[in-house]
Amino acid sequence: MDDRALLERVRRGDEHAFSRLYARYQSTIYRYAMHMCGAAAADDVVQDTFVALLRQPAKYDASRGPLVSYLFGIARHYVLKRLAIELPLDPLDDADGEAVALRAAEIATPLDVASRAELVAQVRDAIQTLPPAYREAVVLCELQDMDYAAAAAIMQCPIGTVRSRLHRAKAMLTTKLATLQSPSLATRQAP
Amino acid sequence: MSDARESGGVLNEALRAISAEDATAGAPPAVEARVMREFRAAAAARRRRVRAAVAILTLAAMLAIAAAIPTWRSMTSHGEASREPSVPPTSRREVTTEFMPLAYSGVPMTEGHVVRMEVPRASLVSFGLVPADGIDSAASAKVLADVIVGDDGLARAVRFVRRVEREGQRQ
Repeated sequence: MDDRALLERVRRGDEHAFSRLYARYQSTIYRYAMHMCGAAAADDVVQDTFVALLRQPAKYDASRGPLVSYLFGIARHYVLKRLAIELPLDPLDDADGEAVALRAAEIATPLDVASRAELVAQVRDAIQTLPPAYREAVVLCELQDMDYAAAAAIMQCPIGTVRSRLHRAKAMLTTKLATLQSPSLATRQAP
Repeated sequence: MSDARESGGVLNEALRAISAEDATAGAPPAVEARVMREFRAAAAARRRRVRAAVAILTLAAMLAIAAAIPTWRSMTSHGEASREPSVPPTSRREVTTEFMPLAYSGVPMTEGHVVRMEVPRASLVSFGLVPADGIDSAASAKVLADVIVGDDGLARAVRFVRRVEREGQRQ
């Protein structure tokens, strides 16, 4: 049964239909919230998101996009409230972004010496240190395998902005990892 | 630059690994329990609202009917009084049979009147209301009857009337 039919049943008070919608999307919303504001807060974000859906199922307009995008929109609202921030449209100008990418390119990182598990853990931690606007781009495009258009709809920005944020985010991650792997080198090369 | 490409490749690989590791991550069952509890509470509240709305509408309908009944009764009694001035209304002091069809009951009529009259007690026999041998001593006695007479003058039905205040007396 598709989302629309399930939501129609939810509107009529069908608990089983709501349970199926929850099972279908809770994981996606949880992962997004977990990467954006931590596992503990992710529980609350998932709960708040689905409670908002059940209280006002009629607010979802199928002509404006799939249900999952609508749920992401609600979840994002709660994530931003928790982060107590307003995501800037483009917090760094292009020059800054290019500079970060250039520094990352110049640093000879010894990532290859770290074990895979250590590397994954370090990248996971590094993602948490990214500014929220960049973190969100990485979470949606890389960790949720979302295309730029879908991510742009959720992030409420142009596709080009998603691309540039993702590019800069990766550059920052590379820099951070290089710093972790070779603090002395990073210190020497950083301005 | 090759180092940078290599770093980028390693980073992408790490990101894919994180995505794969988290693929099965989800909210704990306690969250689902809380959400479903909220759903039941909301559904119960919705049902309560619907029940309250139905109760209010029902009450309003009952009040409207209760208010309309006296008016309707007075209009009906006035109408009957004007149409049938010769027929005394059936009161608690009278006991009547059901209307029983007469020979012309099958003839259609557009308007009719109820006419009270006295008929021979013997006519009760023809309707099986008293046994034939029970009227010998009072064959000449009369009983009251309401007869429905159509506007064409044909009698359609009859009912017999007994006045209760004359307890012990047979009409």
